[in-house]
Amino acid sequence: MTMRRFRQIAQKAAEQLEEPVREAGNLARKLGLDPYPVNYWVVDYEDMNQLIAYGGFQRRYPHWRWGMSYDRQQKQDQFGMGKAFEIVNNDNPSHAFLQESNSLADQKAVITHVEAHADFFANNEWFGMFAGETDLDAAAMLERHAETIQGYTDDPEIDREDVERFIDAVLCLEDNIDQHRTITDAASGRERVQPEDLRKRLDDMDISQDVRQQVFDEEWLDRLAETEAEAARLDAPRRDVLAYLRDHGTYYDEEEGKAVEMEEWQKDVLDMLRTESYYFAAQKMTKVMNEGWAAYWESLMMGEERFAGTDEFLTYADHQARVLGSPGLNPYKLGKELWEYIENTTNRREVADKLLRVKGVSWRNFHDAIDFEEVQELLAPDPAIDGVRSDTLDLLAELDEDDPRVDWETLDRALSGEEVDVDAYPWKVLTYEGLVERHFSLVKPQNRGFLGRVRRSELERLSRYMFDDEMYDTVEEAVADVDYSAGWDRMREIRESHNDVTFIDAFLTQEFVKDNHYFTYEFTQSTGEFRVASVDYEDVKKKLLLQFTNFGKPTIVVFDGNFENRGELLLAHQYNGIMLNMGQARGVLERIYDLWGRPVNIATIVKEYDDHDVEVARRRNREPTPIETGKRLRYDGEEFELFDLEADIEERIQATDVDYDTKPEEWLS
Amino acid sequence: MGLREDIERFREVGEDRREDLSEFISYGDLGGSGPNSIKIPIKVVDLPKFEYDRLDQGGVGQGKGGTPDVGQPVGQPQPGDGDEDGDPGEEGGEHEYYQMDPEEFAQELDEELGLDLEPKGKEVIEEIEGDFTDVTRSGPHSTLDFERLFKEGLKRKLAMDFDDDFVREAMKVEGQDAQSVYRWCRERNILVSLPWIEDAWTKIPDDERGKWASFEEMEENVERSTTLQRIRRDGLRDVPFRREDERYRHPEIIEEKEKNVVVVNIRDVSGSMREKKRELVERTFTPLDWYLTGKYDNAEFVYIAHDAEAWQVDRDEFFGIRSGGGTRISSAYALAKEILDEQYPWAEWNRYVFAAGDSENSSNDTTENVVPLMREIDANLHAYVETQPGGTAINATHAEEVEKALDDQDNVVVAHVSSPEDVIDAIYTILSTEAE
Repeated sequence: MTMRRFRQIAQKAAEQLEEPVREAGNLARKLGLDPYPVNYWVVDYEDMNQLIAYGGFQRRYPHWRWGMSYDRQQKQDQFGMGKAFEIVNNDNPSHAFLQESNSLADQKAVITHVEAHADFFANNEWFGMFAGETDLDAAAMLERHAETIQGYTDDPEIDREDVERFIDAVLCLEDNIDQHRTITDAASGRERVQPEDLRKRLDDMDISQDVRQQVFDEEWLDRLAETEAEAARLDAPRRDVLAYLRDHGTYYDEEEGKAVEMEEWQKDVLDMLRTESYYFAAQKMTKVMNEGWAAYWESLMMGEERFAGTDEFLTYADHQARVLGSPGLNPYKLGKELWEYIENTTNRREVADKLLRVKGVSWRNFHDAIDFEEVQELLAPDPAIDGVRSDTLDLLAELDEDDPRVDWETLDRALSGEEVDVDAYPWKVLTYEGLVERHFSLVKPQNRGFLGRVRRSELERLSRYMFDDEMYDTVEEAVADVDYSAGWDRMREIRESHNDVTFIDAFLTQEFVKDNHYFTYEFTQSTGEFRVASVDYEDVKKKLLLQFTNFGKPTIVVFDGNFENRGELLLAHQYNGIMLNMGQARGVLERIYDLWGRPVNIATIVKEYDDHDVEVARRRNREPTPIETGKRLRYDGEEFELFDLEADIEERIQATDVDYDTKPEEWLS
Repeated sequence: MGLREDIERFREVGEDRREDLSEFISYGDLGGSGPNSIKIPIKVVDLPKFEYDRLDQGGVGQGKGGTPDVGQPVGQPQPGDGDEDGDPGEEGGEHEYYQMDPEEFAQELDEELGLDLEPKGKEVIEEIEGDFTDVTRSGPHSTLDFERLFKEGLKRKLAMDFDDDFVREAMKVEGQDAQSVYRWCRERNILVSLPWIEDAWTKIPDDERGKWASFEEMEENVERSTTLQRIRRDGLRDVPFRREDERYRHPEIIEEKEKNVVVVNIRDVSGSMREKKRELVERTFTPLDWYLTGKYDNAEFVYIAHDAEAWQVDRDEFFGIRSGGGTRISSAYALAKEILDEQYPWAEWNRYVFAAGDSENSSNDTTENVVPLMREIDANLHAYVETQPGGTAINATHAEEVEKALDDQDNVVVAHVSSPEDVIDAIYTILSTEAE
């Protein structure tokens, strides 16, 4: 499958899309975005499904999981749920794929969405972490990996099934990397200090043999050295389990009957898959932000900037409803709502800041002194800016010659009859300054009242260090000074440095949770079902953080590669109050054994419920308190054994101040 | 090479891990399946990961149109709950299913249990509208068989057609008149009428009369044209359509024997039928329903719940109902008889009557009422499934009495299910019994 073929199949469709593609890029840049250049490819249904299965690329290494993705994709299609509207991959230039059979309205939506993603890829520093180190050419990298691994599977010296099995094992750990560091930094692990044997230190101290033998007998010294070394090993937990296995892993050789060093091909495969993990990590870490960002700009461009032609708007609205209206917690929706909330709160702060500087207005009398209706009116965009049409251009022309909101050059061309389709692309005659006024969030109908709902506490905070609080005589003057670009400027800053965890942590507020009806749910032992547990924003935030921290997965680290001096691997689950899925953990251990060659262990804490406690709790309409016990699960290549966890290890993995439980003391029902 | 190979490999991996059919029936989650599609879980194909315990993790939901109250049940965690991986197209979801339709289910169960149930075609005369191949002489205009009308008209035209130029030449033979030309034409089988000749006679220019010395000379010099040549030359004009050629098509009635089946599921819902027993009934009845659906062209189901009284219910409620009262099994059979007689005549329907309960019945009801009713209700099969987790209670004798009293009937079977392990045996016992 080559790009060339894509092009040929869909030559006609491609021609039709040339203009939307060009103009979407222009519009995105006008709106302050700075995307990677995007190459668009029109593909047919088959190719599209294949691209989805392959994670947005054309070639991946041979493995059945792609077959599985493809199969799922098809099943979702059957039920009309998972219709794929866009695929864009993080690459410079980015590549985006459009499905031939989509309507033009759908294609435009995809294109605007894609431009915003490409902006996010190019500007978010978590993406930069991978891109920064290498010349980002993801497609080429993945293709290289595909070819190399295909080569191994075709190699007569290597058993095909061994390759698949090895890949299976590595993929079980694909999320067990140190995604907050660069791939190179993570590989070396954190500095570990091996303590010097006390004997050597004693030697240096020049203590006489007599004294030495009196005070420190050899046996004691031996034990000390051992425990210190042990402790030191445990002191340097490695989050990048894959890197650790790459350096220290072996495999069990049936013929030799012992663990031997990994083959070259194994190390090579492990390296490649680990690199892919780091490449995809940024995407997984910014899903809410990135999808929300794309949905936000798509909606603005398609709806408010009329990028969807009027005849296409209905189709578009329908598409939008389908994407955002999926059931359950939808990362697209959460993200878009958060971005809108950030925009609104930033704008509100900007307006409030100006209003508080009006003579006679203070945080105490703010709500009474301000006529919010009036403020809304004053904030409304200049009619010339708001209603740009080919027959209203004169209004724009009447503005001051140096009005920064007007793209004078383009306007001149439009007025002198040159080809500027102002009705289709009204934004062309405006600048960024014009567009921020045109789209100022607080005057949009759905946000009316948002300004008036500002809390006194926030106003108080704003005015605390405000010196020139009598800058304006009238509200009118104050509003005239409002910086309309505050919201968008802030949004772009945030998209540079945040990931989902910091994003949710920083911007999820009670107001947001309440306005958007978010809640937490917990499983209740007493009724055997999930129930709404809390509507408090702290709780919702906690649960969301749990869902997005570390890819929503428990943190597993390497504690020891020579556990109990028997060369066993000891992994530890850094317990945060939520226990492991033990069935899955067994499955993973079985496969890690293939990478370690010797017995593997995981230390964790399990919760157990006493039947009697459950019964008592049920009667009292409370939840039973679980008993937390440290356990070590060991797999030796044949069977599992469950041990009580050594006390010192238990102490080290025990949750301290984190608690993700949001259950109320007493259920209200 | 490429994705196709990956898909194939995935199928192999998945097929290996599909739950065994009898294991699925005995222990699996039957709830995910509908009457027309049976979903058999595939033991999770996806690779294991270090994950949180699903129940312990809880989650975040979003209310539609308002925030729900604390304590309100939210059902199963909503799909799309953020644990998907970042890769597009790779959605979460722990269970994969192997989907089969009832036909496939019946076939596999046949193979697995060595069953051999041949559905009988009942003497049901089903009138199916076949193709529009029958014809009548009248009917709505839209069903007029124009093709036939045209063909008949054409035949008629051909039959009446003659080589008029040739006849005109014949009129130019020396010494003939209309009468002699007509006679000559008749001898030559030229289908021309005397009036036509008489009419044409007057139009022959005088100077051409006597052009030929004799008919023989004329025949030698004038080439005759065939009908086909004339049609080609002149086109097809004036096809004589006649009312008597009109035919109207109407659909043919095909008489078909259809394989109809009605399955009556009867369940004791009285107080003694606790959760475990209910589940066992569901485990036994549901696969039977699927099996018969798969075997017959047309399957209908009647669900009857009873305690001391009987009432008809929907499938959705059937397995969930619990009531207080006592038990009178005959009430259900009486209702079954009424429904069957009214809606499913024995001449037209295969009938299966499956009842389940813990064998408890009010005294004498079995022998005095149930047994006679079972004799009266014609059916391919009467089955009683005795569910009894926890051993035999003293007054639970219904199954025993039925077995004894109806020993002479080859369409009665009793099966016992006291734990999920027995389900498959019970299904086998039931399906391998049938009146000849």
